[in-house]
Amino acid sequence: MSSPAVSVESLVREFKGGIRAVDGLDLQVEEGEIYGFLGPNGAGKTTTVRILTTLLRPTSGSARVAGHDVVSEADKVRRSIGVALQEAAIDPLMTGRELLQMQGALHGLKRPAARERGTTLLERVGLVEAADRRVGGYSGGMRRRLDLALALVHRPDVLFLDEPTTGLDITSRTALWREVRALNDEGTTVFLTTQYLEEAEQLADRVGIIAGGGLVAEGTPADLKGRVGKPTVHVLVGSAEAAARARTALGRLGEVQAEDRAIPGLVALPAPDGNGSLAPVVRVLDEEHIEVESIEVKSPTLDDVFLAVTGSKLEGADGA
Amino acid sequence: MLDYALVGRVLVALSRRSVSTQFRRAQLVMPTFVLPLMLMAVITSGTGAARDLPGYPTVDSYLSFIIAGSIIQGALLAGLTTGIALASDIESGFFDRLLAAPVPRSTLVLGRLSGTVVLGVIQSAFFLAVAFVFGASYPGGPLAILATICLAALTAAGIGGLAAAIALRTGSLSLMQSIFPFVFVLLFTAPAFFPRELLTDTLRDVAVYNPLTYVVEGARGLLGGNRELGDPWLGLAAAVGLLIATTVLATAALQERLRRT
Repeated sequence: MSSPAVSVESLVREFKGGIRAVDGLDLQVEEGEIYGFLGPNGAGKTTTVRILTTLLRPTSGSARVAGHDVVSEADKVRRSIGVALQEAAIDPLMTGRELLQMQGALHGLKRPAARERGTTLLERVGLVEAADRRVGGYSGGMRRRLDLALALVHRPDVLFLDEPTTGLDITSRTALWREVRALNDEGTTVFLTTQYLEEAEQLADRVGIIAGGGLVAEGTPADLKGRVGKPTVHVLVGSAEAAARARTALGRLGEVQAEDRAIPGLVALPAPDGNGSLAPVVRVLDEEHIEVESIEVKSPTLDDVFLAVTGSKLEGADGA
Repeated sequence: MLDYALVGRVLVALSRRSVSTQFRRAQLVMPTFVLPLMLMAVITSGTGAARDLPGYPTVDSYLSFIIAGSIIQGALLAGLTTGIALASDIESGFFDRLLAAPVPRSTLVLGRLSGTVVLGVIQSAFFLAVAFVFGASYPGGPLAILATICLAALTAAGIGGLAAAIALRTGSLSLMQSIFPFVFVLLFTAPAFFPRELLTDTLRDVAVYNPLTYVVEGARGLLGGNRELGDPWLGLAAAVGLLIATTVLATAALQERLRRT
């Protein structure tokens, strides 16, 4: 059996003043997975990534990446990983092509091979036309795509993406998601930190939620959502009187939730078949001649999960 | 085992980046190329009469005498910009990108310094050419010119090592920029533009401890083809000594930075 792509045990990182950015973290990422590492600012995401990419030493505990210890076998780890850090740290005075060739040299490629690999990656991320322009003139999306290309120069086994789409518009974000998915399809394990719930939901096979330096929940997005609630049908009618009638009629289909005083026209009941539960609800309401303003099936979101496990909403969640 | 081919490729790549970005950043081109030339022009026109002072060595022209000082001034500033560029890399996070690469850590410092060597070569050759156009002569001949260029390049890297050490310790771009005036303290406590014999007693005493004294006098001896103007070997020893000492300092600062993080 192959070893996990990332394995973290009791990881602690303490900064000056005794502040523990990472506090007893345990997690495991299997080969070929996209692991979404979710948490608000200051939760310990970036510190964890910096430890896993050998840029920061842990205070205690252990971490292995691609089978190698991040402290005693740091060089082997660096050979196996690609890193795109937060805020795309790219020299604005260099061109995209120059940066790729330099990155190739840093990873041991000879000049012709570095040039060829650079050209391939520029094509892959759609930056051929901008290749010989200085990066200072690139848009945020172009910088992120170049950052991704730089992380791929040496065909890494594990790719670390630290908030790769923060600040990007939806078009650039979607394009980057597509690329990350394609890379994963080719076999690259992806460790993705994000504060966008939609990003985690779209990309991640499994999600780990970090708060206060430790993992507070972990599982597939569906598992996590299943833990905090089931889908419900929400029917909105025009008056409290209509709501009372709807509540009685819909009681035949399932247990109607208690009245929400804030929204007197709302009637909610379980939707065990998801969208399939809508038809019988509509039929009953029609039979009772109850006029409906809106009707929808609501499923728990990762935001609900986040709220349930951390007690707060995720910053940036609305921005996704 | 150390992969020398890889190290070589990394040094070339980092050196190339260091030189090319130097010429793309106006705030680095100004001090390394324009400022020394301006100072050379001002000093030549303003204090050229100093050549008539008793005790002033016999040289073809005042410009021929002070060109060694201008070259070393350029080397000092080239070295300082090494630290400024490194601090900028640290602040922007670009240095992390380099640290995430599977290369020996010391090559990250040596790559930067080898870029400073190349810059020192380009810069000193340029100053010698400009001064030549304006009437300087180099009786020492072509080999002496080459040796002077090497001396300047080594000095640039030596100062670069010191600047890199400070940048790695502090990681602060603004601090590196604030060091700029101290370059002139180093320059003017060496006989860059006047012979040591004509300096005040205090300055002459200080100059003995300034390695740039021997570098500038060595360059002057080389270009003038006259050992009485300065001992080239002493200059070489000072430049190499400075380079070794500051490279050790910079490497230690890098290790300290890695240990801290």
